[in-house]
Amino acid sequence: MKPAPFDYTAPAELSDAVTALAERPETARVLAGGQSLVLEMHYRRERPALLVDINNVRELDTITADGDALRVGALARHRAFETPTVAPGALGRLLSRVSPLIAHPPVRARGTMAGSLAWANPVSEWCATAVALDAGIELTGPAGSRLVGAGEFFLGPFRTARQPDEILTSVRLPLLPGAETGTVGVGFCEQHRTHASFAQVAVVAVLTLRDGVIVEARLGLAGAADRPVRAHEAERHLVGREPEPDVFAQAAALAAAGADPLSEPHAGVEYRRHVIGVLVRRALVQAREDSESADFFSGAGRDGHDGWEAR
Amino acid sequence: MTGAGNYVGDLKVAGCLDAAFVRSTVAHGRLLAVDTSAAAEVDGVVGAWSAADLGDDLAFVPPFFPSAGGEDPRRCAALAVDRVRYVGEPLAVIVGTDRYVAEDGADAVRVDIDPLPALVDPGEAAASSTWLFDGVDNVATEMEFGTPIDDEVWQRAAVVVEGAYRQPRLAPTPMEPRAILAVPQPDGQLTVWVSHQAPHRLRRDLASALGLDAERIRVRVADSGGAFGTKSGTFAEYLSVVGLAVKLGRPVRWLEDRAETLSGSTHGRGQNQRVRLAADENGRMLALALEVDADVGAYPNTGFVAAETGQAAAGVYLTPNVHARIRVVVTNTTPTAPYRGAGRPEQVYAVERTVDLLARRLGMDPAELRRRNFIPPEAFPYHSPTGRVFDSGQYELALDKALELVDYTHWREEQQRRRRSGSERPLGIGLCSFTERSGLEQAPMANEWASVDVAPDGSVTARVGTCSTGQSHETVFPELVARTLGIPPGRVSLIEGDTDETAQGIGTFGSRSMQVGGAALHRAALELIEEARRRAGEPDARYADGTVITGQRSWTLAELAAASPEPLRAGGVYDTPAAFPFGTYVAVVEVDRELGNVRVLRLVAVDDCGVAVDPEIVEDQTRGGIVQGLGQALYEVMPYDDQGVPQADGLLGYLLPTIGELPPISLDTTVTPNPNTALGAKGAGEAGCIGTPPAIVNAVIDALGPQPAGTATDIGGMQLPLTPETCWLAAAGQEVAR
Amino acid sequence: MTGRIPVRLTVNETPYDVTVEPRRLLADVLREDCDLTGTKLGCEHGVCGSCTVLVDGEGVRSCLMFAVQCAGRDIRTVEGLTADGELHAFQEAISAEHGLQCGFCTAGFVMLVVGALQEDPTIAEDPERLDGLLASNLCRCTGYEGIRRAVLRVYGKDGTRQENGTAED
Repeated sequence: MKPAPFDYTAPAELSDAVTALAERPETARVLAGGQSLVLEMHYRRERPALLVDINNVRELDTITADGDALRVGALARHRAFETPTVAPGALGRLLSRVSPLIAHPPVRARGTMAGSLAWANPVSEWCATAVALDAGIELTGPAGSRLVGAGEFFLGPFRTARQPDEILTSVRLPLLPGAETGTVGVGFCEQHRTHASFAQVAVVAVLTLRDGVIVEARLGLAGAADRPVRAHEAERHLVGREPEPDVFAQAAALAAAGADPLSEPHAGVEYRRHVIGVLVRRALVQAREDSESADFFSGAGRDGHDGWEAR
Repeated sequence: MTGAGNYVGDLKVAGCLDAAFVRSTVAHGRLLAVDTSAAAEVDGVVGAWSAADLGDDLAFVPPFFPSAGGEDPRRCAALAVDRVRYVGEPLAVIVGTDRYVAEDGADAVRVDIDPLPALVDPGEAAASSTWLFDGVDNVATEMEFGTPIDDEVWQRAAVVVEGAYRQPRLAPTPMEPRAILAVPQPDGQLTVWVSHQAPHRLRRDLASALGLDAERIRVRVADSGGAFGTKSGTFAEYLSVVGLAVKLGRPVRWLEDRAETLSGSTHGRGQNQRVRLAADENGRMLALALEVDADVGAYPNTGFVAAETGQAAAGVYLTPNVHARIRVVVTNTTPTAPYRGAGRPEQVYAVERTVDLLARRLGMDPAELRRRNFIPPEAFPYHSPTGRVFDSGQYELALDKALELVDYTHWREEQQRRRRSGSERPLGIGLCSFTERSGLEQAPMANEWASVDVAPDGSVTARVGTCSTGQSHETVFPELVARTLGIPPGRVSLIEGDTDETAQGIGTFGSRSMQVGGAALHRAALELIEEARRRAGEPDARYADGTVITGQRSWTLAELAAASPEPLRAGGVYDTPAAFPFGTYVAVVEVDRELGNVRVLRLVAVDDCGVAVDPEIVEDQTRGGIVQGLGQALYEVMPYDDQGVPQADGLLGYLLPTIGELPPISLDTTVTPNPNTALGAKGAGEAGCIGTPPAIVNAVIDALGPQPAGTATDIGGMQLPLTPETCWLAAAGQEVAR
Repeated sequence: MTGRIPVRLTVNETPYDVTVEPRRLLADVLREDCDLTGTKLGCEHGVCGSCTVLVDGEGVRSCLMFAVQCAGRDIRTVEGLTADGELHAFQEAISAEHGLQCGFCTAGFVMLVVGALQEDPTIAEDPERLDGLLASNLCRCTGYEGIRRAVLRVYGKDGTRQENGTAED
């Protein structure tokens, strides 16, 4: 299990990295955290002729508030999101619920959120989070940068809209505003077999509540299709209704019915579809409870920037 | 711990080459061509060989039990010839200056295989007209234990229950995969460093397979990163590595990687089982019939594993009629071999799951049912209907202790409370009472060699034919010798796992090290004391604390050793018959019916391994075994698709329990000495793997119950491992049945 | 360059000048080029954790990093914990608490624990966080209990960490 030979470059400037990649786009790969890529290289299922290591590009190692979005640079590691203070309000709470369920500490110390999106494993937690939030994905190539919405970015298992000569330079996660539109609650549920295994299904739920009624619902699903997807029908069903068990159960059933999961050992299509329903319901309950505690703690906990540290 | 360990991969030998193997990716097919020419051109590659390239140098794996007849029609070549029979089978070996270039070379080998139908299930393989080996069908061995049971017995019985179970294939997965380093010396000697359980047998096999002189081979077991039964063989790869080292006159090593070991090493378990159990209206067992199709994989080297399942058939119960029929069947899968428990977990699972079925059928508490049927203490030595002699046991004592430790009454009440509440996760309690054979009954292997030497400075060297792969021999054997001789443990050093230093040896497997190896050391130490008295010329003198004492004077062992040029030594080969440790395990689980997730709330193990020489080390072995048993119950399986392709090539697919999956575990013991050795120890180390899976499975079935009254079969029910999907399907199926 | 690249690695505060192919794993270069064989390779795909080392203080899988990525970084391996033949407090504890049998996973667990607990000793006070950390690595022999006890012995509330300076090193 040793990688095949490859050329290696580790420029300090983004422009140099883009140039290096553009010279051999079809056979080069970008190395960020490397926790999936290098694993696949051991099996020689990935055999890049050139690795463009971006770990020396300091400008990519940032997490900053950028208008109404959190801009996550390509070198921000999973572990940066373990504490809710990584982002204001509900977004920080959501990211800090998701992060601890990604692999384990040594992998979280190296692996990156941007890398997870670029890798596009259909059961990736970050990919489900990105589609739930309508994240913007910044791709930088020889012709400059472009922003692709998460809904258009994922094309299938391990396939994305990134062109071979582009580097995924940042992820824009919209902050989850509260005060003006309502109270935001977040939930995250995942089914995995052991602490060492990938998720079979994961569900991200974001509810915005005003006067006891759901005014916006976002459900991001991993393991429900060949790529991360939103449960649009379930979301539509939730909007305008009260966050009651019956409503959640109906939304869960819609999400399960709309899912088109892949089969894998120990998670057949029927089982996965069923689990999607269960986890959607549980994630919605979590989101409602989260909104209630966010409401209870008011101001800072809801949408204030107190306690939030930019990096 | 400090990084100072010396595993095979840590040994530095100048000019050492690394080997890599090209393996079949097809389960069954005609091997049309293996072209190694391009591999030999790769930078850094020293050579590449297929079976054809080796010609007459191709070696064959010696059978575990040599057969009397001519050439074995199902023998296994070091590299496949004409036909491939499982995914992972070695087709070519590449030797290079390091493992990276050796793998580059393996990449360059071109293989052409014409696929044949793949046989994955032993039942189907036994019935198939596709044969893995020309001229012989797929049933390698058939065995019977006990006498067939009259139909009348079944017809007259008040109740008969029947279950059909699948023992999945398990990957033993020691943290260090297989590893071997062969170093030819200029003087024609050959040193083989290896992570192994039976160095003397390996030396014999290497010599016979490669046509070498055994006297010139020194097999040395380096530090070993776990074995669990999977490092006891003479593997095809070892023949290639050692053969090429000799051929090239250069050191060659092979450090197996994880992807290779999952399908290219050996698997454990792999049985289709059918059990029938008859009882009278009071639950007294009348008859037990066990039928097994044992999946031995592509090369049937180790049918004896399944023999154990048959010979032990009725377990701890006094059952007048017992019959077991075992078919050992070849399939297009990785060869199976002993894995921790080796035949006993399979037997115990089949019986204990069926005993719970009988309890449900009778509406009887499963603890009470077991109690009524145990072989009672006064019945020992007990001659079983399958021809086995059990040495000693107090099965009810262990059961009672386990029930008390877990607080059985409390959990039964809690189970009822939850059932009444309806809204809480269902809870189940599962039992498993078992006995296991430790050591071996077969005469040529029911012994071990040991010796004890005293140097003139008083230091003592103990040598024994077993070898540690993580069982703490280096701690416990010196302690045992020191205690026997009455000297400080620091004065005793242990040598094992080196064929130049130990005259002979059987090895470490079947929980035999303390029971047989320890007993041998104990007896050697006692003989040494006799020898010391003889040296002192005082055969009737007192001996204490390393000193021979008469009224007038005393001699220390050091003085006696220094007094003569003849070494002060005792030793030899000491027989120790098989022993039968036993115990009862109890699991308490709750099940998330919606997701099928099982949470083990408590696991209680009461073991009796006779007199434990070092109870702490026995406890360590038990805990480790329990966690492997937990893996077997809930997580571990090597799945194959219909084409015979294994579906896990890493530890993200083959799941081992982490600490996060660990339940609270409580251990206790009873002590029923081994009546056949002065030491009184029986084997330890495998019980955890044996008692845990049935206890958990019985608990899950109990949680998902209650089943309709009178259910007499458990066919098509849940099979190991109890994945969430499996449990969800079972729970959902019950909903439908209602 | 598929050719070899000169790299200066700083391992346990000692510089090692090696010339390696880019594809060589940090673990292999530590073991083969630096002769630091305490770091083991158990799976080569980041799951088992036997190869865990500290890079700039963080526990990482040395099978999922290339040595060429580690120039200028501070690498710590199990060999670096044993100062003047004296064991690190956690190494003593893991032995005393029977946290090892075959020993192959031990260096990985030691580096995992020492790295994380050095940064945040409060992990030991929260059983869930502690299990979350220890679930990073696999052990096939011990059943983990001795490893957990060893952490608590050194870093737990009544642990020896405060009295024993070596744990802080």
